Amino acid sequence: MSLPLVALAGAATGVVLSLETRDGMVRFGAKSLLPAIIVFSIIKESGPVITGLVVSGRAGAGIGAELGSMKVTEQIDAMEASAVDPYRYLAVTRVLACTLMLPLLTVAANFCGIFMGWVANTLWDPISLRLFLDSGFKEVAFSDYIPPILKTAVFGLIIGVVACFQGMRTKGGTEGVGRTATSSVVLASLFVILADVVLVRLILFIWPLS
Amino acid sequence: MSMETGDQQPPIEVRDLHKSFGAQTVLDGIGLEVRRGETLAVLGRSGTGKSVLLKLLIGLQAPDRGTIAIEGHDITASSLEELNEVRKKIGFLFQQAALYDSLNVEENVVFPMGRHSSMPVEKQRLRARQLLASVGMRQDLNKLPSEISGGMQKRVGLARALALDPEILLFDEPTAGLDPITAAEIADLIVGLKKQHRLTAIVVTHDIRGARTFADRIVLLNLGKIVAEGSFAELRKSKDKFVSQFLREGS
Repeated sequence: MSLPLVALAGAATGVVLSLETRDGMVRFGAKSLLPAIIVFSIIKESGPVITGLVVSGRAGAGIGAELGSMKVTEQIDAMEASAVDPYRYLAVTRVLACTLMLPLLTVAANFCGIFMGWVANTLWDPISLRLFLDSGFKEVAFSDYIPPILKTAVFGLIIGVVACFQGMRTKGGTEGVGRTATSSVVLASLFVILADVVLVRLILFIWPLS
Repeated sequence: MSMETGDQQPPIEVRDLHKSFGAQTVLDGIGLEVRRGETLAVLGRSGTGKSVLLKLLIGLQAPDRGTIAIEGHDITASSLEELNEVRKKIGFLFQQAALYDSLNVEENVVFPMGRHSSMPVEKQRLRARQLLASVGMRQDLNKLPSEISGGMQKRVGLARALALDPEILLFDEPTAGLDPITAAEIADLIVGLKKQHRLTAIVVTHDIRGARTFADRIVLLNLGKIVAEGSFAELRKSKDKFVSQFLREGS
């Protein structure tokens, strides 16, 4: 369910980046750099962060509300009463799913963003996709592409842990479930943004700018 | 921590149990014993800590003070692994049945077996269908809990509580929220199960009529303490104002 949303958000980012950047690049006489700017901007920051925030909203609220309603209807107590560890059975699977899926969703967002960046670009100034990609990826190195995608695994971990934790400690009936859904999204988004700052610094430390 | 076991050992033995939530004292020194094969009904007004007592007995909440020995194991001093071993011997029927809403009726009953039994899946499903039939659920096994009535949910909850072949059953308001006919059917079902499985049971209820049907002994809670204990006939003779008013209003 997150895929169409992430793809749409990525595509919109690509279009907007292309439209907004084009004007500046033309003014500075650097139009030929446009593909590289779109590709760099999407794979290094826009794609991962947009995916993280969209999934915080979509999966964070979903997991928080689902576990929250299981908590207030005593389904989690029933699981414990049957000697089944609800953290292992319900939380671990969800946290793992978020951690593994975020990088894949980021790849999808990046793909849609770059493709739609080319579409928006080519409407103004026709350029073949091959030429756009060649010039966009010419300067892209391993350290530009892989670390930002792996960084989103940490975003997934954060979203899963925050939503499961909030869900498991829900109190106060349906109103409590509503509060959990909201707090899961708010806290997951906040921690994703903070983690982004820390992780970008860490990536720059491990793979310094050339 | 293990104490002496054997047939003389009461399956449930509670001593000096205290539980408070903030400033509110819910249980204030409860002590009770349930003998093997006996059904004890715990009656009392709403908010007197009856459901809390059951949750303490299965380790879903921890007491502030006191001991709870289940089959000779003090669960208040147990590790989670030891507690889970004790929990496998206990079936729990929740007030709102607490069925897993993403699983259908049959899967709900198979769930505990799937996690703890080495039985092949087909045998688990067969046993689940037998248990469901024994509580009067022969149809609608593929329906989700939200698609069946409250009475049916209680029946499924009962079948699920029996899935691991427990020695002890704890019932939290088994007849609450049901029409009088369904409530009487559930009460009869409890009597039937008691005879069939020689179960030791604690039933927390408001339903005095139901308690008369299935209980061997009744304890009455008020303000966190046991105010009366005995058979229904013995309680009726009580001169205590609260006891006589409770039995009169409830009958």
